[in-house]
Amino acid sequence: MTRYVLVGSGAAGFAAAEAIRRHDRLGEIVMISDDLNGYYSRPGLAYYLTGELTQELLFPAPKEYFKRLGVRLLPGRVNRLKIDSHTASLQSGESLPYDRLLIATGAQAAPLKLAGTDLEGVVKLDSLQDAQKIARLARKARTAVVVGGGITALELVEGLVASRLKVHYFLRGDRYWNSVLDESESRLVEQRLIDHGVRIHYQTELGAILGKNGRVAAVRTTSGELLRCEILAYAIGVRPRLELAQASGLECERGILVDEYLQTGAEDVFAAGDVAQVYDPLSGKRIIDSLWNPAKLQGRQAGLNMSGSRQPYDKGVPFNVTRLAGLTTTIIGMVGGGRDGGSDPDLLGIARGDSETWRELPDAIAAQSGFEINRLRILVGQQNILGALVMGNQTLSQPLQQMVDAKADITPIREQLLSPGATLADILFDFYESWRADHVPVQ
Amino acid sequence: MNLFGLFRSEKKRREALVGGVVMPDSARCVQCGICNYNCPISLDVRRHAWLGQPVQDSHCLTCGECIRRCPRGVLRFDRTHLFTPPAASGAEERIP
Repeated sequence: MTRYVLVGSGAAGFAAAEAIRRHDRLGEIVMISDDLNGYYSRPGLAYYLTGELTQELLFPAPKEYFKRLGVRLLPGRVNRLKIDSHTASLQSGESLPYDRLLIATGAQAAPLKLAGTDLEGVVKLDSLQDAQKIARLARKARTAVVVGGGITALELVEGLVASRLKVHYFLRGDRYWNSVLDESESRLVEQRLIDHGVRIHYQTELGAILGKNGRVAAVRTTSGELLRCEILAYAIGVRPRLELAQASGLECERGILVDEYLQTGAEDVFAAGDVAQVYDPLSGKRIIDSLWNPAKLQGRQAGLNMSGSRQPYDKGVPFNVTRLAGLTTTIIGMVGGGRDGGSDPDLLGIARGDSETWRELPDAIAAQSGFEINRLRILVGQQNILGALVMGNQTLSQPLQQMVDAKADITPIREQLLSPGATLADILFDFYESWRADHVPVQ
Repeated sequence: MNLFGLFRSEKKRREALVGGVVMPDSARCVQCGICNYNCPISLDVRRHAWLGQPVQDSHCLTCGECIRRCPRGVLRFDRTHLFTPPAASGAEERIP
């Protein structure tokens, strides 16, 4: 009887548990996690903060489901793996033997390198525990300062706005998320924030956090400006949780290095999710995707491979739909960020809801059109659409995703797409209607 | 619009809804639970999205709240093949 140990209770760990159980009815599955809340939707935390959800709804699977699945939930932390003897050494001192093990420890917020981060009122958004703390503090606070970039910074801004706080958003750069969005897209988002009452401070860097009686009282910028506030929220990027892998001698770069079967260099040890840097046969590179759906698919494939399969993880084209300042935004494939894309001063490395593929600058030409908040940007390659960004009206979101994924040959419309003043939406929609007849299976 | 016209458009709307089934695009779903939260029948729409299955539960009112509220655009109405004879549609029968 095979013993499976899954380290982590996020999307990757959960998907692995289900996949293993589907293929191995008898094996023992233990899921060990240091998150006392177990398995929940981390992306849902943003909606809990805005009040669109209650806490109870964040849990897709109740305890009974794990029992039915035959998965033992063990609160705890794994300090190190003894690869040769196939044992996991727990912080409690216990030793957990395994036949196959998955590291799905995820990622955590990169820390602020400043004094005062232990003051009450300094918050981040990694876990449900963090979200509960923010909700509690927001009830008594009046002003909040948010620093950082990417999706999580806006989740914090929106959540704090929903709690009726006056929110100041510090941007070190001159526009929002310059590594993925282009200038007009950044401005669209920023305008929405301003419309919501957020005060954006450009080229502003947090210099110091000032406290009183153990609580945040104010922040000072590097240019000396003082701002009173009770909450300082930060989202300057995420770091994969590599401690376990490093302590066990596994090879890591930004994440744990795995091959296309999601196997690490160590026998019977796999990795999946935000912690894993997965080999992508298409680009020949190893990429981190800090996204829910890839974590689920990687976890599922790792689980299958742990229980007898040997199939590579089909990375597909990275894809995310998110809400930026209330604007639904779909990002597909390679989008680059324009000339200054690649390094965002507000982010140290990868952000949540981000894919490293998006920050590649493809050898392509951008075509764009938009009316108010129906913004469309397509990255046009020689024969295919390499990437797309759809902000606002989402009608073309799924058609574009299908065409990018299938590497649709767009040579018939390439000229049209790139001609100045092209009505992109119409051209694409017409093309899609005839393309899909041959390519999309009837449901 | 006269009364008969109103009746006709209501009939058309109901025919559309009855022929509709909530269909998830599971790649977009982050399991947040807003769909379940807003379902008047408390169906586990989220679970259907995880599995990529249409909501073919006979309790579904096709009210469309889940579709409206999903922050990621996961859900939409698709035509159901339940009322089409198998020979005519050629579609595979799906057992929920």
